[in-house]
Amino acid sequence: MSKSARAPGASSKRLAEDGGASPLSHSLHSLSLQHSSPSKPARSPAVADPSSDICPVCKSSRYLNPNMRFLVNPECYHKMCESCVDRIFSHGPAPCPIAGCKRTLRKAKFRRQTFEDLKVEREVDIRRRVARAMNKQESDFETLKDYNDYLETVEEITWNLILKIDVENTERRLRLWEETQKAERDPNAPRRLAEPDPSLPSDTSHVVLKKGATQRKALAASSGNTPDPFGTSDDADKDAGFVFHGLKKYVPPEPEKPFNPFGGWGIEPKYYVFQKDYDVDWLTRQKNDPGHLVGGYDMQDFYSRCLREAFGGLGIFIEDEIIARENQASGDAGVGTRSAATAAAGGKDVDMSDVF
Amino acid sequence: MTFSPVLSPRPNPPGTKMATNATAAKAKALAILNNSRAVPSPSVASTPGDGGLDLAEQMNDEVRRRFVSGTRLGEGTYAIVYSGHYRHDPSKLVAIKKIKLNADFKDGIAMDAIREIKFLSELSHPNIIQLHAVFSTKDQNISLVLEHLPLGDLEMLWKNHSISYGGADIKSWANMLCQAVWFCHENYVLHRDIKGNNLLISADGTVKLADFGLARSFADPGRDMTCNVITRFYRPPELLLGCRHYGGCVDVWSTGCVIAELAIREFFLPSETDIQQLSVICDVFGIPTEETWPGVSKLRHYEASFGAAAPKHPHGINYWKQRFPLLGEDGIDLLRGMLRMDPMKRLSATQVLQHPYWTNAPRPTKKENLPKQGGGEKTMGEDLKRRGGEIETGRLDKVARKLDFGAMKK
Repeated sequence: MSKSARAPGASSKRLAEDGGASPLSHSLHSLSLQHSSPSKPARSPAVADPSSDICPVCKSSRYLNPNMRFLVNPECYHKMCESCVDRIFSHGPAPCPIAGCKRTLRKAKFRRQTFEDLKVEREVDIRRRVARAMNKQESDFETLKDYNDYLETVEEITWNLILKIDVENTERRLRLWEETQKAERDPNAPRRLAEPDPSLPSDTSHVVLKKGATQRKALAASSGNTPDPFGTSDDADKDAGFVFHGLKKYVPPEPEKPFNPFGGWGIEPKYYVFQKDYDVDWLTRQKNDPGHLVGGYDMQDFYSRCLREAFGGLGIFIEDEIIARENQASGDAGVGTRSAATAAAGGKDVDMSDVF
Repeated sequence: MTFSPVLSPRPNPPGTKMATNATAAKAKALAILNNSRAVPSPSVASTPGDGGLDLAEQMNDEVRRRFVSGTRLGEGTYAIVYSGHYRHDPSKLVAIKKIKLNADFKDGIAMDAIREIKFLSELSHPNIIQLHAVFSTKDQNISLVLEHLPLGDLEMLWKNHSISYGGADIKSWANMLCQAVWFCHENYVLHRDIKGNNLLISADGTVKLADFGLARSFADPGRDMTCNVITRFYRPPELLLGCRHYGGCVDVWSTGCVIAELAIREFFLPSETDIQQLSVICDVFGIPTEETWPGVSKLRHYEASFGAAAPKHPHGINYWKQRFPLLGEDGIDLLRGMLRMDPMKRLSATQVLQHPYWTNAPRPTKKENLPKQGGGEKTMGEDLKRRGGEIETGRLDKVARKLDFGAMKK
């Protein structure tokens, strides 16, 4: 990180010690809205300024037009009235009409401001954008220290962008980071060339109004099936934008097993082979009795039950079971669902192996 | 009796952890066996040295002392249900169902209780209510210690219109229900009272089949069974026609009705009387003939019911598609398979689970994501106190309830 990026952190610490008037807010003032029109000096947010009711572009005032609404564009945060936006930007992107501001604005990006103070508005936008890219949690790191280091880096990036320090480089690394993260989560997703987010303020943002043929070709080449020279070979030689110590490798969740309608339970006879039919004299009458057939009484159920009951006790050693039961007498009892049930009910598992 | 799921040809639970784990109900039976063996000398068994209690009473006392019964959750003509917990760990909740002394069974235990104890102590499956223990109290009342299932039942769920659910949720509930039925049948137990309010929901959302008061094991050939079982809305046509020999297919019909009910959020085949029930069924499925159901005209009540009736034809596929949009094509196919008039053509519980409906999209909702409601302990009490086969909405029910002075007091 650049040295200057540390400055706000340090100054904020000093601020906390002083507990009072802010050198930080002063620096913010001077830095963040350096393009404000000379005709409109930076206002103190606390004071209700009558000039806020006059559009700096068309000079119409709320007195003449009571329904006037002001809009800002996150590109440069210059305020203007709705009718000016309609008039200037309806036919596509156009440069900002405020004197001294050369940025190209688009109508779609205009919105009402949420905060009265435009500096706050801008900082919230930046923080939102950084938080979208840097979204790791404490559980993603090996140690708490690693996580704290990460948080510090994130704060550094944020202040770099807010204070317009090393913006270009920071932006580039942020985009690279976003791309690698996305590739890691979803390896099958088509690789897109990182495009600059037009909603973000960047000093050098050079807006291309229409993609030229060469650009389109380049885009297609990199996003298509052709393997890009250093992309797919992954992390080792690729610049991920940022490197965080102690960041756990992302493990994709196991794919779900196909649903088993029997819940995993099954039965097959071990000691006998089940036949479709058994020819015994004493059953022939019932077998051919219409009274049995009409009600769905199934002879096979009877056969299999007889066999099951005849062979059911084979291979059962009660002594072994008693020993096994005593061994796990204090252990976890029961079927998973039940333990989950009681856990959900706020209770502990019911140990049912010790009825006596 | 078999205790080892490892070696037993009984259905083996998934995973191996169950292998070493004798389940409670079985453990209870085992413990009796074990205890009587472990008791060192015949002196204890024969000489009632401590307070004139014989061995059986001592054992009973020991079981009884393991549980603390709490507030009364509900009372019916058949049983009173209390909430309770293990004495050594109050966080282990149970429901204690105390069977009332019945005038019909002065010298014994009520049939319902016997059946319930008999089958619940045999069956151990995540979708069947668990019987932790059984004990009797001083006044000769028998108490069943059952699993604590606080989240209401399936009928309350579809009746509660503040809950919305979709096809995947229905599939999940239906699958748990079908697994329970399959497991019963696999162990040769007919439940004979499957209905929405016998399907309780545990704290984690699992559906559990409860109330085995009408259950019996599959009959031997030639033995008559009663046809006066299963709550009317869920009673299959062969029982309404007085058939004495039936199999697992009666439960499959009831299961189909419950699934249909879940899908349309109202009773599928409601009626006032048994005779009306038959005509309600025939309105949907047509009047059975010798072609559609071989042998049906020999059934006891066939002549009385359909002797002079004009033929009715079953509804076509469009009726089902219109009425059950939530089930989808394959769900409707399964439902129609479960609700065939001829029990021989009806799917068996195993065939039901083998149907492609379960594995087709949408995948059944995981039970932790199922919509839930707080039915609370109150409904658990209401559900457990009921006697098998009762419908609560009848006019006469109300009259009977007025005569129940215990209920008046509360």
